[in-house]
Amino acid sequence: MKTRPITPEERQRAFKPTKKPEVVEKQKLDVRYHVEDYDVTNRPRRFLEAFAAILKHSNYQMALDHFIRMSAKCSRCATTCQVYQATGDPKDIPCYRSELLMGVYRRYFTMGGVLRGHIGDDDYLTDDKIMEMAESFWNCTACRRCSLECPSGIDHGLITHLGRYILSEIGISPRALVVSTREQLEGATGNTSAIPVPALADTLEFLQDDMLEEKGVVIKFPIDVEGVEYAFFPAVSDFLMEAETLMGVAAVFTATGDSWTIGTGYYDGINYGLFYSDRILERVVKKIDAETRRLKANKVLIGECGHASRSAKYFLPAYCGGKDAYPVINIMEYTHRAWKEGRLKFDPDVITEKVSYHDPCNIARQRWIIDQPRDLLKAICRNYIEMTPSGEDNICCGGGGGTVSIDEIRPYRTTVGGKLKADQIREAGCKILVAPCANCKKQLRELVEDQGIDCEVVGLHDLLYKAIIFDESLKVKSPDENKEESQ
Amino acid sequence: MEAYLSFAKGPLFRLSLAVLILGLARIFLLDIFAAWQAWRRAGDKTIPWKLVISRGLEWLFPVKRIFNNRPLYSVFSILFHIGLLVVPIFLYAHVRLWENALGFGWPTLPYEVAYWLTVSTIVFAVLLLLGRLLSPRSSFLSRKQDYLWPLLLLVPFVTGFICAHTAVAPATYQFFMLVHILAAELIFILIPFSKIAHCVLMPLSQMICTLAWKFPPETDDAVCTTLNKKGAPV
Ligand code: SF4
Ligand code: SF4
Repeated sequence: MKTRPITPEERQRAFKPTKKPEVVEKQKLDVRYHVEDYDVTNRPRRFLEAFAAILKHSNYQMALDHFIRMSAKCSRCATTCQVYQATGDPKDIPCYRSELLMGVYRRYFTMGGVLRGHIGDDDYLTDDKIMEMAESFWNCTACRRCSLECPSGIDHGLITHLGRYILSEIGISPRALVVSTREQLEGATGNTSAIPVPALADTLEFLQDDMLEEKGVVIKFPIDVEGVEYAFFPAVSDFLMEAETLMGVAAVFTATGDSWTIGTGYYDGINYGLFYSDRILERVVKKIDAETRRLKANKVLIGECGHASRSAKYFLPAYCGGKDAYPVINIMEYTHRAWKEGRLKFDPDVITEKVSYHDPCNIARQRWIIDQPRDLLKAICRNYIEMTPSGEDNICCGGGGGTVSIDEIRPYRTTVGGKLKADQIREAGCKILVAPCANCKKQLRELVEDQGIDCEVVGLHDLLYKAIIFDESLKVKSPDENKEESQ
Repeated sequence: MEAYLSFAKGPLFRLSLAVLILGLARIFLLDIFAAWQAWRRAGDKTIPWKLVISRGLEWLFPVKRIFNNRPLYSVFSILFHIGLLVVPIFLYAHVRLWENALGFGWPTLPYEVAYWLTVSTIVFAVLLLLGRLLSPRSSFLSRKQDYLWPLLLLVPFVTGFICAHTAVAPATYQFFMLVHILAAELIFILIPFSKIAHCVLMPLSQMICTLAWKFPPETDDAVCTTLNKKGAPV
């Protein structure tokens, strides 16, 4: 699928400066996202020091060595990238983006490059180059769609990830992400949305009352129950913005009767470390491990969130014990399995609108979760349609890689990053778009709003909540019914 | 001329072949060694083989994705690669040469097939070069070696074609033959040190990418220590 480059008016909107000239001057950084004040001196030297330190303690060097030998510069990746398609700027070609960092690597960390440096161009890595990287690596949503089309197998998502990590070590990272992470790791509430435990408890109680009223069933959010099967970690923002999704999850567990709990020690699945720093990634993953341990739960269950699922699934084993780490599953996997086992029933006639499904990059690109949500949707929607491309080839919502949390770049996200997705949604003509991911949902809602598309964006469990059929034995009898029975 | 030719066919050929084989073996083994080390350091040692292999095969036998992007260029590239690999290895005259150098031979291409494959390789090399020059995206990305490689690869094909399929005077023949052999030897020597190394590294790409995402444990602490950031706030 292809889209046209943006118009001059759209360009103006997307690239409007977000910062005062004084700030740009002081921070020596002309990028759209806000950055906390940092040490602007000696940036190239500090960049290289950070790069060296990271290479020493990671596996990136292997990949960089491989990529610099492989790169064919064929430009097949160009038109895969939704950003390049929208801007038409050759600097947004994935291979060019990656070359920014690979060039630095080649020049300073390979023998040939170092020798060449001695002969001539010693100031390869300049302040300008750092600024270009700071801009480019945050234009990319790290969706990794381009990597599928690269015959050389270059993983641009990995390079973007590494580039951002190095930049973060010299103080260049989006303020929005850093501030949230600081609260999560060092703040009083310990989560990215700064929700204190009493507020959490209030919210859940309120939702329980709602569900009792709507469904006539006691649906609980178990809190701090030890020894359960599943310790539950949704994107914490769901507690504020995605009540329906959480209600769906609770309803599913009530119907299956399996044990699960939300721990008040830590209840946030979000891990911005995946987007800008492996050090942060490790710290946040360890919080999940610690809380699961405290709750004596058997498994980690992640809510509807792509990056939260990926960071737990792939990095809990990395940082917390390899094959002895807690197994991680995503809520859609759980629900799908229970439904397959015949432990869940849904009404196939509740949802009549045209429904389609958006694959979050972080769970679909590696072919992890693709069919499960579709099976469930086909069971509850009479009018389900598929968007193409989808599955492992899905098109990014345009807010991936943490960019959705950077509010000041919304115009960019909804005009440039999300343009291809907007075209795809328009073409599909769905009235409900299911996006089982906190990030995708936020971005897609802003996208349909800014692009004027008539489509509602919801989570999978929002719809399951509507369609779920409870066993009669779970229904709370109203006083009248009780009377009838006793007569 | 005779003396040059036999030198080029003999010692020089063996030398360049040795550089080629040892050079490729070196980078291949370096890659494998790096991968093994990465795997050893990784906290999570599971490898999704099914995904790694199926994605790897997608590009070794590129049919699935070829029409998604730059379809024409991609098809040219595949056809070019076929001739590029088959002709040097299976041409009758070459197999005799290989036999001399290695001590054993293998079946050879029929004359007609060799003729057309040589022509197609030349044509597709030119088309690829044009595709690179004329596509603004491609030319934006291209380095010097990206233009020089197709040109260099053309030399042995064109000279070989002249020698095998045209009637030229013996002296001219010998000259072209010398250029043919020397160019091929230059190519052999350069391959391990250039992007053409992909001829042995390509099958490893998917495994390398997978392992690159397998992070070693306790790197937070290690990186902090190296950068003197221990205890620094987030
Ligand atoms: S597809 Fe791969 S080799 Fe080709 S230009 Fe893109 S990154 Fe480079
Ligand atoms: S990862 Fe996604 S956004 Fe980044 S360069 Fe590739 S296709 Fe573009």
